[in-house]
Amino acid sequence: MAILLDKDSRIAIQGITGREAAMVTKHGLDYGTKVLAGVTPGKEGEDVHGVPVYNTLRKATLLHGINTSVIYVPPAFVYDAVLEGIAAGIKLILIATENVPQIDAIKFLARARQAGVRVIGPNSVGVITPKDRVKIGAIGGDKVDRCFVPGRVGVISRSGGMTAETSWMVKKAGFGVSTAVSIGGDALVGTSIRDMLILYEQDVETDAVVTFSEPGTRLEEGAADLLVAGAFTKKLFSFIAGRFTESMPEGTVFGHAGAIISGGTGKPSQKEERLRSAGADVLERFDDLIPRLKEALK
Amino acid sequence: MGKMLENFSKRILAEAGIAVPRNAVARTPEEAVEEAGKLGYPVVLKALVPVGKRGKTGAIKFAHNSAEAAALTKELLSMTVRYFPVDKVLVEEKIAITQEWYLSIMIDKQRQAPVIISSLDGGVDVEELSRVHPERVLTRHVDPLFGMAEFEAKEVWADLGLSGKPLNLATQALARLVRVFWEKDVSLLEINPLVLTESGEVMAAASVMSIDDCAMFRHPELVGMVQLGSERTWRPQTALEMRMVEVNESDPYRGTARYTEMNGGDIGFLCGGGGGSLLAFDALVSYGGQPANYSEVGGNPAEGKVYGITKGILAKPGVRGLFVSHNITNNTQVDVMARGVARALEDSGKDPRVFPVVVREAGVNDEIAKEIFLRAGIEYYGDDTTISEAARRMVKRIKELEGRE
Repeated sequence: MAILLDKDSRIAIQGITGREAAMVTKHGLDYGTKVLAGVTPGKEGEDVHGVPVYNTLRKATLLHGINTSVIYVPPAFVYDAVLEGIAAGIKLILIATENVPQIDAIKFLARARQAGVRVIGPNSVGVITPKDRVKIGAIGGDKVDRCFVPGRVGVISRSGGMTAETSWMVKKAGFGVSTAVSIGGDALVGTSIRDMLILYEQDVETDAVVTFSEPGTRLEEGAADLLVAGAFTKKLFSFIAGRFTESMPEGTVFGHAGAIISGGTGKPSQKEERLRSAGADVLERFDDLIPRLKEALK
Repeated sequence: MGKMLENFSKRILAEAGIAVPRNAVARTPEEAVEEAGKLGYPVVLKALVPVGKRGKTGAIKFAHNSAEAAALTKELLSMTVRYFPVDKVLVEEKIAITQEWYLSIMIDKQRQAPVIISSLDGGVDVEELSRVHPERVLTRHVDPLFGMAEFEAKEVWADLGLSGKPLNLATQALARLVRVFWEKDVSLLEINPLVLTESGEVMAAASVMSIDDCAMFRHPELVGMVQLGSERTWRPQTALEMRMVEVNESDPYRGTARYTEMNGGDIGFLCGGGGGSLLAFDALVSYGGQPANYSEVGGNPAEGKVYGITKGILAKPGVRGLFVSHNITNNTQVDVMARGVARALEDSGKDPRVFPVVVREAGVNDEIAKEIFLRAGIEYYGDDTTISEAARRMVKRIKELEGRE
């Protein structure tokens, strides 16, 4: 049984009638994922690629036994959508929406923590478990197998695009992924690298994990602490992009909202050092991942 | 986050019931003298630039008469403070101060809650203070759901050692500042110093404020006060950057396209995905390339946005080639990228036969994209090549250009 998603994931999409969400619905269905319902207020009775639309998530949940929801509503409505998900008893909420106000984010993340609900994102491109052909979010697009094939390597990335690229590198090396997670590019996300490593540690279907990171935040430092504490014992490969930002003046933002270098914290070189000394295999060049995986998992 | 100039942040504080010195903005020495005359001497003259720690750079002056006000304003207007040329001066009444305190509110990303940092040793560099005298700096988190109760604001100052009337006034000021932080979607609010005046008032003598630009949709009242996209640069935005912000804002719900100008460089840089762009930039640099800008697109941008940003990239003098790269896309339509790029190259008069363009784009609709790129004479790679390998090709093509010259 995989982490986060499996064959029993019963999925609803909040904001399903939007352009992007409708496309994601189709790609999910084509892949074999159980996208069972959608929510768009005022559009109950319609359907999106055969998936029924409801006015409320509560009704969708009652009728379809939903346990996982994906939020595609515009930034102004994300806060309410998360609250609706928590109230409906959803256990895993993925927020795809980008540009969520940070005051809203701290509020709904606090509510989710209190309710014991796992939130992935905001600004996440999705989660995928290839073995069960289940994915939430846009991850993998319409040609999922190009990047994501079943295997025993976990992939974690703040960047959605690099979740796919990293999984493609894993495939190029001759392996596949157990579960790949785009944790979200924002500085405030519901699930950290550390949280994910804890899940992978317990996952009997994962032998190694690859993380793709960026400057800013302290997510990698948190992961390093976990390794030092001995709470993650599997092989960990880490790459930190954005080394060039260290030669830029402070206060410059590149990449995601989380990628801000300020006050001397969050620098790639510091993250690399912390992870390396904690026992992770820190990649000098991203392309090194292929030979290193081959060597470690042969 | 979008930065805000001090005259605007003080206006917001005043509206929230927090006392601030009377002030006015002057663009010339004559205007400064006129405003100072209305306020009464002595006055404080501050360079109106969106940076903190201005005192350290000599960007704050005191004038006791009109001759001084004119001369000092002239001096300030000739300065550049941390890359920002001064074009306006804030003229303020000089407050008679008995105590200077420090207060800031921002979001602690680890704890995912607002954090208040305060001290009774204000008017100094707080980073330095917390290093040397950590016991004089108090850090308190605010509950993200319930906000800050008045008694918690009182505890902050009482624990620092305030009592009597100053305690009550400081408590009221802090409660109002937290409310401003909450209601205006502030990402950083720093009052340094928050002062106790000789007449017993608590006043925000200097303020630095920036707004979460993701929340601007609910703050029409702040339009024109917040410099959107300003967090991405360490200096004033260049004319090209401002134009590119307009390109990005033209269609806020369909993808993003951002542009930051580098000093020098000759490779135009248009990459996709936050992480993929960082990787691509690192790769170009590692092979000896010099990108002329940093641009990233994401979230399935419309063709017009890709076109606009590419034209901007090509418009920078000294650009001799273009590198276009994406991670393998999940949802970004690569054919839309291809159309925008090809059209921008054509309209900019750049012929890929003499102006090297290397593309690594794979993902949604990449068969169509490949055709468009190849038809335009562009060196194209798909999911048979890594981003780093394509970057190496780009640098090689630029170096070949040098060989021919």
